[in-house]
Formats: sequence, C-alpha cells, structure tokens
Amino acid sequence: MTLTLDSPGPQPTGELAPRVAPVLFPQSSGRDGLERLEAVWALPKRFAFVTEVNNTHLGVLYIATGFLFFLGAGVLSLLMRIQLAYPGLAFLDAGTYNQFFTMHGTVMMFLFAVPIVEAFGVLLLPALLGTRDMPFPRLSALGYWCYALGGTLVFASLFFNIAPDGGWFMYPPLTGPKYSPGINTDVWVLGLGFVEIAAVAAAVELVVGILKTRAPGMTLGRMPILAWYMLVTAGMIMIGMPAVIAADILLELERAFGMPFYDATKGGDPLLWQHLFWLFGHPEVYIIFLPAAGMVSMMLPTFARAKLVGYTWLALAAISIGFLSFGLWVHHMYATGLPVLSLAFFSAASSAIAIPMGIQVFAWIATLWDGKPVLRVPLLFILGFLFIFTVGGLTGVMVAAVPYDWQVHDTYFVVAHFHYVLIGGMVFPVFAALYYWTPLVTGRMLSERLGRWAFWLMFVGFNAAFFPMHITGLRGMPRRVYTFPDDVGWNWLNLISSVFSFVFAAGVLVFLIDFIRHRRSGPEAGYNPWDAPSLEWLSHGADYGFRSIMPIRSRYPVWEQEGLKEDEIGGRGFLPDAPTREREALVTGPITGEPEQIIRLPGPGWTAFLAAAATAIALAAGTLKITAIALAAGAVAAGAYLYWLWSMDRLAPRGLADAGRGVALPLYTNGSRSVGWWGMVVLLISDAAVVASFAFAYLFLWTARPGSWPPDGSQIPGFLAPVLLSAAVIAAFILFETADRMNQRERRRDTTLCLGASAVLAIGAAVAGWFWLRGLGIDPTRHSYGAAVWTLVGTMGLHLVMGAGMALWCTVRLHLGMINSWRCLTLRICLLWWRFTAPVTVLVLLMIAGFPHVIS
Amino acid sequence: MGRDPRLILILVALSLTACGGPQSALDPAGPSAASLHRLGIIMYVGATLVTLLVTALMLVPFLRPRERSVNRNLFLWGGGVALPLLTLTALVPYVMTVGHETRAATTPQQVSIDVIGYVYWWDVAYRRPDGSRGGAAANELHVPVGEPVELFLHAADVIHSFWVPSLAGKTDMIPGRVNRMVLQADRPGVYRGQCAEYCGLQHALMAFDVIAVPRPEFDAWLARASQPTGQPETPELRQGRDLFVSLGCGACHAVRGLSEARLGPDLTQVGSRRTLGAGTVPGGVGNIAGWIASAQHLKPGNAMPSYDQLEGPQLRALAAYLESLK
Amino acid sequence: MSHVLNLARMAIALMLLPMAGCDLAPKPLNTKHVDEGDPTRGLALVAGGSYGCAACHAIPDVRFPKGNVGPPLAGMAGRSLIAGHLPNKPGVLVAFLQDPPALAPQTGMPNVGLTTEQARDIAAYLYTLEAPDGS
Repeated sequence: MTLTLDSPGPQPTGELAPRVAPVLFPQSSGRDGLERLEAVWALPKRFAFVTEVNNTHLGVLYIATGFLFFLGAGVLSLLMRIQLAYPGLAFLDAGTYNQFFTMHGTVMMFLFAVPIVEAFGVLLLPALLGTRDMPFPRLSALGYWCYALGGTLVFASLFFNIAPDGGWFMYPPLTGPKYSPGINTDVWVLGLGFVEIAAVAAAVELVVGILKTRAPGMTLGRMPILAWYMLVTAGMIMIGMPAVIAADILLELERAFGMPFYDATKGGDPLLWQHLFWLFGHPEVYIIFLPAAGMVSMMLPTFARAKLVGYTWLALAAISIGFLSFGLWVHHMYATGLPVLSLAFFSAASSAIAIPMGIQVFAWIATLWDGKPVLRVPLLFILGFLFIFTVGGLTGVMVAAVPYDWQVHDTYFVVAHFHYVLIGGMVFPVFAALYYWTPLVTGRMLSERLGRWAFWLMFVGFNAAFFPMHITGLRGMPRRVYTFPDDVGWNWLNLISSVFSFVFAAGVLVFLIDFIRHRRSGPEAGYNPWDAPSLEWLSHGADYGFRSIMPIRSRYPVWEQEGLKEDEIGGRGFLPDAPTREREALVTGPITGEPEQIIRLPGPGWTAFLAAAATAIALAAGTLKITAIALAAGAVAAGAYLYWLWSMDRLAPRGLADAGRGVALPLYTNGSRSVGWWGMVVLLISDAAVVASFAFAYLFLWTARPGSWPPDGSQIPGFLAPVLLSAAVIAAFILFETADRMNQRERRRDTTLCLGASAVLAIGAAVAGWFWLRGLGIDPTRHSYGAAVWTLVGTMGLHLVMGAGMALWCTVRLHLGMINSWRCLTLRICLLWWRFTAPVTVLVLLMIAGFPHVIS
Repeated sequence: MGRDPRLILILVALSLTACGGPQSALDPAGPSAASLHRLGIIMYVGATLVTLLVTALMLVPFLRPRERSVNRNLFLWGGGVALPLLTLTALVPYVMTVGHETRAATTPQQVSIDVIGYVYWWDVAYRRPDGSRGGAAANELHVPVGEPVELFLHAADVIHSFWVPSLAGKTDMIPGRVNRMVLQADRPGVYRGQCAEYCGLQHALMAFDVIAVPRPEFDAWLARASQPTGQPETPELRQGRDLFVSLGCGACHAVRGLSEARLGPDLTQVGSRRTLGAGTVPGGVGNIAGWIASAQHLKPGNAMPSYDQLEGPQLRALAAYLESLK
Repeated sequence: MSHVLNLARMAIALMLLPMAGCDLAPKPLNTKHVDEGDPTRGLALVAGGSYGCAACHAIPDVRFPKGNVGPPLAGMAGRSLIAGHLPNKPGVLVAFLQDPPALAPQTGMPNVGLTTEQARDIAAYLYTLEAPDGS
C-alpha cells in the first residue's frame, strides 16, 4: 500500500510554531500561516456562496431565513386577527382562514422556532467551543438548503390555495384520504419532511460537534452553558423527531397507498396519531425553549456583571427537562377519554417539570442579584422573557391539572398559554440574542433607543393582545374558529387582542428598521463590545474564526484567562496555519477535551446544495404528481448523495502532524475516536426511534382494538419462518464482522468473500420475508394489522437491502485500495449499521411471531 | 417592568364585569363546572402571587444593587426546588379529587343520551331503558334540571369535542370509540355548547344548546319527541309535506312518522329549535326558508345543498311545514 | 343613534353643496317616512335574527349572515318597487313586511309573523338605507 498525497505546497517560510520531533505539515504562526488560513477559509465569491459549507456562514443564512418565515407567519396572524376583530366578519372566508391558522402554526413551529434556535447553535457553537468549525459542515449545508428550499415551497403553497388546512397537529381522520382528498395535507407532510431532514442533520452536527470539537482543555464542566442546552436539545431532536417522522410516514402510507393506520373502520385508531405526534410535539416545546434558555444563560452574566449562579444546576435542569418532556405527551390528550388513573400519573409528571423550570428562573434571578446589572436592550428583552415566561409557565401548571384542562383545552386560554410560553420563552430571548450577537456578525451595534422602542411596543402589545385571550377562552371561545357569534360575549376581548397584535407587530417593525439602518450607520462594535466572558467574542469575525485555537482553563475564559487575546492573535494557540491547504479543526476527547486528532474539513462544494435542491424538487414534484420531473430530480439527488458518500473517508498520511504548541496528532482515526463513527451512532439512535415508533403502532393498535385485531381470515405467523429469517440475518451480520477481522489481517480475498456472502444472505432474507408475508395472506390495505406488519417487516427489509448495498460498497472500495487494515473507517461505519440492523430485525420478527401468542 | 396601569384597570374591569355569558366557564351552572371553577380560582390566585414574587425579585437588583454576594442556596433550594415542590404537592392531590368529583356516578333513573358528532352538527338520541334509540333531536339537548345526565359520545366521521363550558369540561368524540361523560345543570336555562376539536371547514359553526327544564316539562318534551308528527292541517302545510317527500328531503332527514334517514339532523321538532345549521342562524320560518334556499351560502361546505330551484310559494310551503313541526 | 347619523349625513351633504357647484338638482320630497316607526328598534329586530331577514337579504348593518336569496337591502330608501311590482311606499312596505304573499302571491318571502308595530319599525329602518353611492 503506497501512501500518496497531493503536494502540500511550499513549506512554511515564516516563524514556525514550536514543535516536537519531525512531524508532517509543520504549522506556522507567522504571516504566511495567516495567509494560508485566510485562503482556505475564504468565502466563495458571488453566487458561489451557495457552495459554502462553513457553519458560521450557514448560521447567518439560517437565522435570516428563519426570521423571514417568522415575518411571513406573523403577517398571517395579523390577517387572522383582522378577521376576528368583530363577530361575523367576512374578511377571510372559512377555507382561507383554516389554511392561514394551519400555516401560521406549522411555519412558526417547524420553519421558524425549531430552525432558528438550532441556527443560533450552528452560528455560535463553533466560536463558543473555540473551534474553527464543527465536524460535518456539508451535512449542515444539506440541512440548511433542504430547509430553505423546502420551506419556501411549502410557504408558497399559500399562493396557490393548496396550503395545508388540517391544523398544525393534523389530526386524522380529518387529514386522512377520505376527509382531505386534496394535496393540501401532502404539502404539509412534504414540508415536514424537509424540516425533519434539516433538524436531524443539525442535531447530528451539534451533538458530535459539542462532544468532539471543543477547544483543548475545555472539559464538560468548562463548556459554555449554551453547549449543555444545545446538547440536550439535539439529543431530544434525535429521539423525538423520529416519532413524528414515523407518524408522517404512516399517514402518507394511508393517504397514498390506502394502508389504514388511523381509520377506525379498518382496525386503525385516530389516537395512534395523537400519541406519536405528541410524543414528539410535547418535547418540541422544550426543543424550542431550551436553546433560548441557554442563550439567556449566556447573556445574563454579561449584563449582570457576574458569573452565572448555579451553572451545574442549570445543566442538570436542562437534562432533567429533556427526560421529563418525553413523559408528558398525554398532556395534550386529557380530553380524549383516557382513564382517570393514567391521567393522574401524567398530571403529576407534568407538574414535576415545574421544578427544573423553577430552578432556572431562580438561578437567573440570583445571577442578577449577584452582580450589578446594566440595563441594555438585550437585558430588557431578557427581563420581558422572565415575566412573560413565568406567566406562561404558571398557566402551564393550570393546563397540566387534568380536570381544569377539560375546560380550557382547545380554547383561547390555551392559545394564550402557549403564546406566553413560546413568545415569552423563545421570541423574546431570540430578540435579546439578535441585539446581543448582531455586532458579532455585522461588526456594528444596533440602536439602544430604537431597541427600547421595539421592546416596549412588543412587550405591551404582546401582553395586551394575549392576556385577554385567557378570559376569552374561559368565556367559552374555542380555538381555530374563523368567526364567532356576536351575542356570546367575546366581542370586546377579541377587538382588544386584534388591536394590540398590531402594536406587537409594530415592535417587530421597529427592530427591522433598526437592523436595516445599522448596517450603514450603526456604531462600530470593536472587540468584545459588551465585555462578555465567553469565547465567541474572541473570534473577530474572520471566516476562519480564531487565528489560533486557544487552550481553555476556565468557564469564563475572556474574563479569567489573562493574555488570551494576545496569544490567540499571536498564533500561539493550536493550528495557527493551514499547511495542508485545507480547512482543519482539532478533534478532542468528549469528556476531558484532550486533543486527539486533526481533521480536515470539506471546503466549498456543490454536493450539498445540489443534493438538497434535487431532493426538494423531487419531493415537491412527487407531491404534485409530476412523475417525470420527480424521477429526474430523484436521480440527480441519488447521484449527488453517492458522490458525497464516495468522497468521504479520505486518504490521509499515516504519520503524526503538527498541531502547534508542541503537540503532534494523527490525521486519521478509526472507530470511536473518529467523528464519522459518532455521527453514525447519532443517526442510528434516530433510526432506532423510528423503528420503535412503528413497533409502538403495532402494539398500540393491537391493544387499543382488542375486538378487531387481528382481522378474520389473516393467518397469524408461526415461529418457523421468523426463526429461519433471523438465522439468515444473524449469519449475514456475522459474515460482516468476519470481513472486518479479515481486513485487519490484510486478507483481502477472504474479506471480499465474507462481504459478498453477507450481501447475498441479506438480500435473500429480505426477499424471503416478502414471500413469507405474501404467503400468509396478510394484506396491507384491508386492515391495519396487515398495514402494521408490512410496515415493520418492510422497514427491516429496507435495512437489510441497505446492509447488502454497504457490503458491495465496501467491496468496491476494498479493491480500489481505499480500504485496508488501518484505513477502515468506511468498513467500521457499515459494521455499525449491521450491529444495529441484525438485533433489531430479530427483535421485530420475534415480536410479530410472538406477540399474538402473548396477548391471546 | 409593569404594564400600563390603565390597561390593567381595563382588564380587571373587563374580567370582573364580563364573566357571564351563555358559554362561560366563569359562570358555572352545574356541579362539575362549579368545582372546576373553584379549582381555577385557587390557581389564579396562586399564579398571581408567584408572578408578583418573581417580578419583584427580578426588579430588586435594579432598584438597590447589593454589595454582598447572594445567598445561592436560598434561591436555588428555596425558590427553585421548595416553592414548586410544596405548592404542587398541595395542588396535585386536590386536582385529582376534583377530577374524580367531576366524573361522578349517575343515579339508576338517569337520562342517558347518545350524542354523535357529524361534520358539522350533533345528533342527539335518548336511550330507552332497553338501550334502543328513543326520541331524537339535533343540535339541542333537553335535560332535566338538577339530575346527572349520562352522555355517550360518538363521532361519525372525524374527531369532534363536546363542550358546554357552563356545565362541564369537554370530552372528545373519536371515531371508533365511545366516551362517557356526566352532565348536570343546577338551574333551568339555555347553555350554549360548541365543538372544541377542529373538525374541518365549518368547525366554527358547530354549536348546540343544552336546554335545562324542570323534570315534568322535560318528560313532556321527550314524549313529544318520541311520537310521530301529526298530519298537516292546512293546504299550504300539506303542500309543504308533499314537497318534503317529493324533493327527497327524507333521504337525509328524519321526521318521525314520515322518514327515518339519519344522514342529516332529525327534523321532528325543527319548528321549535332555537337555531338552524348547528347555531348558524336562529330558528323560525324566515330562517328556515333562507336555510333551505341557500344552505351552502350560509354555511359553505356543510352537507346540505342549497335548494335554489324552488318557486316562491313552494319555498314558503316547505318552510311553513317544517316550522309547524314542534 | 341613526337620527344622529342622518343629521351627520345631512350636515356633510350641506358642506359638500358648495363644492358641487350651483347645479342643484331639485331635492326630492321625503316620502320615505313611516309614522310611528322607530328605525333603531327596527334595526334591533332585523339584527336579532329571529325573523330571518338576513338569512335571505344582505343588510348593511348586519355582518352575518349576508343572505343572497332575495335582493340586498342596501338602497331600500331609493328603490322604486318592492318585490318587483309593488310601489315602494311606506304603507305598502309595512303591509308587505307583515304578510308578503298577500301582496305578492309568487314571492318566496314567508309571513314571519310581524306585528304592525314591528313592521313599521323595520320599514322605518329600511328607509334609512341609502344606496352605497349616496344617491
């Protein structure tokens, strides 16, 4: 095996960083190092900016796009408030209104709230963690472009009168094929598909980034608190988002192929959707809130002029909220007639979340008490957040009280409650963050005077618009009504809400004007304008982030590490150079932050943008049933993804490379030290959650429909076939393991044989499974039993086919010399897939064979 | 961080003077709604106190900055842990008690009613002692005052939710499931209810009335609802009845003694209904005529077509006939 | 209330007169007066909904419903005929409102059981309805 590498170019000429022994790619902290750094991190010019993959750059685009969706959905809400200003108005007809409120909710939740808080993570975390970039910039780019293009398509559906109109939680059977035959609902599923891709992509990036690319010396306990919050958030997305992905897949299977999951007349149950949707939907509230709380926790010390009180408490609060939030989904189903006893449990669990919430609020207040607070605009928004969010949290305790919820559920009381929670808990912190971090991006300050105007307009407008809604709801007004009668006593309350919603909007407008104005005439921000303690202010807006990566010894490095700025700018940290002529970042240990590896990151390229655009076009054309375009775009997308995969696991020299500061690190790692391995683990956790959701559907429907499951005439599977299939799957898995062993011993022929046999067995098992179900006479469209079994077996069959594909992929790379005993990350990652697929497939088969016997 | 004080005054005034209304949870008329309202008041007071506390604590550092560092344990253990823990430990058992109260058992002689949600109206059928379908109505529940009434809630198509705020909390109506709830009105009156789960285009126009009357009056009403309608007495009414038959109204609507269909509301007593189209317009002959001629204009997307091909006298006759069904 | 409105309208008309120049059309006699009719009560009856006026007619002061079975009632004050063939005079209108089929046998408008007093009030209200362009 020969190692070849493109010539690294001329050797450094300037002052060299001190280093050990002879190593590859010596780093220079001199001018030439800086020049190389600038060259490889430079933004592509003009329209080629779509090829940029740098997270910091994408974060700005992400936030801007999210904000545009916020404005769009906000305009929808103003139009709705006009319609509701007086009883019996005909400003919007029923159909338009229903589309508007559905889109308002969907866009605000899926295209604004979740993406924009992730966007702040994408923008700020590289700098906060003290790294140049996080490990999967192309994945971030794919996520961003899927979101931007897909979101735009979905929003545009409003202009063609095909916008979704089933409410943002889309309850079937209203959204099923019978009661929503149009494509409106498909547009919703489509839009969500994009957002799910984007959210999971960002979650992978954030989890691996936070765990693996922190500055050296930044232990878990020294991480900026936002990193804790984002880590919990990303974990929740990873586990929660798949539930709604699964629910969407089942809904689309029912709509497109008549597989009845939610149709009560065919053994399905509408409540299945509600369970799956809220299993995600409730954590989603915290997915939105936690990053906002994290940003508040970052900004507060700056303005309080004191360290955060209760850092550990806050991190633990975030983690416990993450766990508790998954126990609360029934919160939204109190009125569905569930047994009172189970409601008692959920009532208690819902109340329990008040404790971590209380801890956070009091930790923030204590931080203010601890210092000498300076009341600038961001702090004003934070105080507004504290007040509004407290009110929203308290009404949250009310709606968590099961019997009380029977009154207020689905009324304007709940509308008021969740706007207090979401606008208070997320929009106000986001505005604080916009005022706070804008100088970091634009280099100029926003106006204090206009900022105060914006705040007071928003604060007064918000409270005066939404507080009355509590009363409107208690006086009996349900949500999602396009009009109301004039003799029930809601007239004045609605008029007040409508008028002040425009005051709130005026506040947003003032911010916009300020933002446009400040690009020209805002005062220069200079270095660390707020005198903040955290690392992002150390980076000075350059594309490469930091001149050199500084070792971290404190939670508040800018306040406590003397000479930090001088050392950073003097190139006395790690990686002051880009000697490989590629973007580089340090990989560190997940717990201790010890430097482990130098990774080379992908630079600008068309792959991610092309893949996202082709995916967006393919899915949109598929929804609109333009098959030719869908197929063509699908082919382009597939090509882009294959090229992308092929270009991963790049060749790297085997020796140690200079990392600066006398440290030498490898350029290539295998297994759990590599970021690719971690990325795959995160993806598989999400995948496991999807499969678990399908299994939940099977088990739930069977237990919820005891009379009609299984339907007459379909055979219950015996044990013989599942056991044989399991044996085949396990054999395929063992063969793959053996292939890895053989590869370790450089026995290429045996490796090839094992991989080939594994692929044949996997395909064989998938095909055999197909014939097995066909032979049993289980029909996927006649009854939800068949639908659920086919979905489960089909999903695992798909996994087997993918596993076979991976075996072939590895074989090809093996023979091209791209896999060998030490360069074997591809093989190891594919092996991970098998380590997941084989046991899960066996479990699924056993469940399908065994559960009928258990229950009868 | 206060709001404009005048605004607070206006809001307080509004909330004090504006609790009533035919559909208000703040004006309970039954034991279930009353205990929920009591629970509500306790929570409103508690929430107000906590909000004031938090707001005050939040503003103190701006009014008088401190020199010493803060007592962290007091904030974290006291405010963060003890405050929510103690309040909730007190609140949750009380909440569960209220929960059990509001699902109280019923008496043996209770009235049992099947209510079935359709897009966008309510079918109401009184169970006979043997469980079969007795007298029926639509978009109106007549109940005896002071007695628990047992409701069985069904959905014929999509999910609806049955809600009469002044009497009780809401319960969903879910296809494939039957939910039971108990309703009781303590004083005679008309209580407005409305579908609380979004059910499609005209979800906003899916209301109904609960009419609570003394027992004898209720019995008389139910007896009438269970009897066939009488023969029309004037030529115009006879013409109206014949039109009802010849136009095929009976293919969807039941008029006891004349037709049995249940695709649309039972019209046996439509002449005495307070509203038409599930709360879309009031009752009476004028509205009946308008509804027949333009149901799709008044409530677009409902299942009834507009009968806009009728001649004037025909429309009047049909409306008069329906108005005579009381 | 609508007296005040009428006064306001007249005041505006007077203020506009000079601008309209001297080409003054002869002011029509106010024949649209209903003895003992109170337009405010009339509007309350119409808007109350139980007689179903708005279920068939679009009426300017009623937001919902806006019926389209019969003609819109905006401009009733200036309209020449009722139901297409009866002169639009106060007495006729009151009688028509009370029992439409008696005066117009082919009409679809039912007798909704108005008392004479109610019919007068409603007629008085209808005569406050000028056409939207003010003619």
